[in-house]
Amino acid sequence: MTALISIQGGAKRFVKGRETITIFDHLDMTIEAGDFIAIMGPSGSGKTTLLNLLGGIDRATAGSITFAGQRLDQMSEGQLSAWRAANVGFIFQFYNLMPALNAARNVELPLLLTSLGGGERKRRVETALQIVGLAERAKHFPREMSGGQQQRVAIARAIVADPKMLLCDEPTGDLDRKTADEILSMLQLLNKEMGKTIIMVTHDPEAARYANRVLHLDKGRFVEQVAA
Amino acid sequence: MTDFSLILANLFSRKLRAILMLVAIFFAFLIFGVLAGVQNGFNSIGGGAGENRLVTINKINFTQPLPVAYVERIRAVNGVARATYANWFGGYYQDGKNQVVTFAIDPEFYLDVFASEFTLTPEERAAFMADRTGLLVGRKTADQQGWKLGDRIPLSSNIYTNKNTGKQTWDFTIVGILEPAREDAGTNVTFFHHAYFNESVTFGQDTVGWIVIETADKAQNTAVSKAIDEMFANSPAETATDTEKAFNQAFVGQLGNITLIVTLVVGAAFITILMIVGNTMVMAVRERTKEIGVMKTLGFPSGRIFKMVLGESLMLSLLGGLPALGVAALLLHLMRKAVGFPGLALSSDFVAMGIAIMLALGLLTGIIPAWNALRLNIVTALGRQ
Amino acid sequence: MRILNQIIAVCSINLKSLPQRFWLSFSTVVAVAMVVTVLLGFLALAAGFKRTLDGTGSDTIAILLRDGSQQEVNSVVMLDQIRLIGEAPGIVRKPDGNPLISGELYVIVDGVKRSTGLKANLPLRGIGKDGAALRDDLTITQGRMFEPGSNEIVVGEGLVREFAGFDLGSEVRLGTGTWKVVGVFSMKGSVFESELWGDAAVVQSLFRRGSSFQTVRVRLESPEAIDQLRDYVAGEPRLKLEVFSEKGYFAGQSSNTVKLIQNAGWPLAIAMALGALAGALNTMYSSVASRAREIATLRCLGFGGFPSFVATLLESLVLAGIGGVIGSMGIFLFFDGFSTSTLGQGFTQIVFSVSLTPALVKQGIILALLVGLIGGFFPALRAARVPIVTAYSQG
Repeated sequence: MTALISIQGGAKRFVKGRETITIFDHLDMTIEAGDFIAIMGPSGSGKTTLLNLLGGIDRATAGSITFAGQRLDQMSEGQLSAWRAANVGFIFQFYNLMPALNAARNVELPLLLTSLGGGERKRRVETALQIVGLAERAKHFPREMSGGQQQRVAIARAIVADPKMLLCDEPTGDLDRKTADEILSMLQLLNKEMGKTIIMVTHDPEAARYANRVLHLDKGRFVEQVAA
Repeated sequence: MTDFSLILANLFSRKLRAILMLVAIFFAFLIFGVLAGVQNGFNSIGGGAGENRLVTINKINFTQPLPVAYVERIRAVNGVARATYANWFGGYYQDGKNQVVTFAIDPEFYLDVFASEFTLTPEERAAFMADRTGLLVGRKTADQQGWKLGDRIPLSSNIYTNKNTGKQTWDFTIVGILEPAREDAGTNVTFFHHAYFNESVTFGQDTVGWIVIETADKAQNTAVSKAIDEMFANSPAETATDTEKAFNQAFVGQLGNITLIVTLVVGAAFITILMIVGNTMVMAVRERTKEIGVMKTLGFPSGRIFKMVLGESLMLSLLGGLPALGVAALLLHLMRKAVGFPGLALSSDFVAMGIAIMLALGLLTGIIPAWNALRLNIVTALGRQ
Repeated sequence: MRILNQIIAVCSINLKSLPQRFWLSFSTVVAVAMVVTVLLGFLALAAGFKRTLDGTGSDTIAILLRDGSQQEVNSVVMLDQIRLIGEAPGIVRKPDGNPLISGELYVIVDGVKRSTGLKANLPLRGIGKDGAALRDDLTITQGRMFEPGSNEIVVGEGLVREFAGFDLGSEVRLGTGTWKVVGVFSMKGSVFESELWGDAAVVQSLFRRGSSFQTVRVRLESPEAIDQLRDYVAGEPRLKLEVFSEKGYFAGQSSNTVKLIQNAGWPLAIAMALGALAGALNTMYSSVASRAREIATLRCLGFGGFPSFVATLLESLVLAGIGGVIGSMGIFLFFDGFSTSTLGQGFTQIVFSVSLTPALVKQGIILALLVGLIGGFFPALRAARVPIVTAYSQG
């Protein structure tokens, strides 16, 4: 396997009042293409910040981040936007769907950033919704759906543009056990069948079990690595 | 789905709020449209077909008479194609409050000079020429008073006395109805022979109220007015000559500064909606902070989000404003019919101005929220810290 | 008592959360203020015009015009008619036994309005030697009265204020003659302050009026004496004249203009009020939405829906009320007493001052509160019905 994304000497600090808070320093990590990684750790351990850096929505104070040979830390905001659109799918704890749009249009949103025509976009949206098992809910609005259904729409949105990497931030944090297991199985399937590289932040050990690898982050350092 | 439909979806994500905004904008532009139409009406008074018509009045004031002999001297001025004259009769019918706009005119030329305003059948015209006591009545006056061809009408004057009867009333026969020659011609008029007036008044003989001149070419207007006024300089009745339009507008201008009033009211209306819509847009976009953060995360460039927010406020402005201009045009049409004030209409200039204001309003109310959205940091927007 | 305490508690929460909604609340205040400003602007204009005309004239002065002429400018009265009027009963006589009477001319001349630079019609009145004595409240504020037989004029204060070129000492060309301004007079803001006065005989000769006049003024022994005068005129075939009390003559002349201004003002103000109402509803719905959690929490604690209703309605009324007061104050401070002129029925300019009366302010405030009432009522209903579970829902 080849490295898909890696951080070398990653550091994140920010100034709050008179204090400088260091989230982490000298952090190195490499994630292989096709891997499914769970990052665990207590609150404030820096796991969300790490995910932000990997997703190109935040910048490191120091260090380099390389994705398939491209240096994210050297990209402009515009380049990062384009990179995210092409390569990353995001899944959030609270789904973050657009309340004004129905399921199909929420899923279609990332396709607005591509040059695909209307017919092709429609086909892809249908496929993505079929994958998450919500084809019949295409016209429903987020407020008309359960948490699990909303998260499945969010997953469809994350994969519709066919990115290489999915970043999930506590994807099951707001769901009951049964629904959580359904969502996690779906992620596992995407990893195995479609070869998506998945990085998932969670504090639920049950969820972490679905991953190939679990990284424990504490006070900005990886403390142990356990194979699932 | 396109950016456009996304903008619409965002705009109507809170239906009630969007509708309230549209209502506020609608009324502001309705006020703008109607007042612009009224302003247009005042601007176009005396406009229309008479670009080469001049009016000569007594320099003291137009209520002071001019000697009738001036007419022939003016006709001899180089560049004057035709000259005619009229006298204000101060007419009323039966009751002093029921005023009838009445002029004693020069039958030979007056109707020719105003051929672009009124039409008269050749038979009626011939009848008028032949009958010294004939009366020509404008369509609107005829309808208002319920007069018809052949009626014998006693018209009174609040100025002149008829020396034949010692009363202030003259008898007339309606020999013709003046139809408007163009849509906004005012037919709220009545004409009779100046000769009949001249031979029967106790005072004011051989005087005219004003002289109307048709120049051969409107390019000569200035030269002709100058020549006329110089000709009568230092005479007992000095003249002031100007275009008919300028003359009429000067008269309307005496009512007060209508442009100023219109500007102030429209200004007040727009300050109001600028405040309401501007604040609401800021609030609406602030409520969507998280959504904008998500859009950025998905890879939407900041510039595109900026444009979408601006697009939303522009859309709001246009959706509220354009129907308002339509309704204003309709209202003006009804008002024009009701009060017979020609020119009450939305000119293309004012429509263009209205649309320009809509765009300006849209940009102005959208620029702050759009800028906020542009600057929005994803990490703070999503509360991911 | 308990309900009152509840209302106070909810109101204080409203008040504390107001800064968060400052700009939106402020926009409601501005919107209502603008509505009231436009309405009161028009109404005060109409009221000022009406006050000037209604305040003109005395009921112990009679004006005689030629029958049917309606306006001074149309009327003609001959010298021998004036002599006949002088013999009428019921009119005041001077110690020498002659009647207090003034034959007057009313000639329209051009002036230039200071504010617009446009030409406007001004009345030049030729008055007899008793003319000044036939005007109550006349005071010469600058200079002196004109000398009879000279080409001197005195000008009204209002006219000097609004029209250029009539300042004390200046020479003006009116008609074919040149006149010297030797005095400025005031007359309690009446229509006469919009006039130029010269000697009747001089006006007659410079405007070639021969020995004709246009109106006659006499002083009546009492307001009731006008009937004696009327009877006398009716019984004298050589006098085809109409007799008016001066007060009655001017009072009738304001109605058309006043109606016109009011007919323009009200529809505009109502259209603006509907726009402002949309703004107020929006503000109050936002206010309820932003307080939904607090309201629901209070409901959990056992508060009723009614206090939320009252507090929301009150907030709306207060915002609109403030707007109404600001709008009225704006007109009062910047527009009240503002001098302007328009064309009167006599074809000449009448100078008047904008006049904001308490009755008008009341109308403005009522309109403002109406916007506040309707703009607050529906959001208040929503506030009263906030579901209690809102207290638990996340962010």
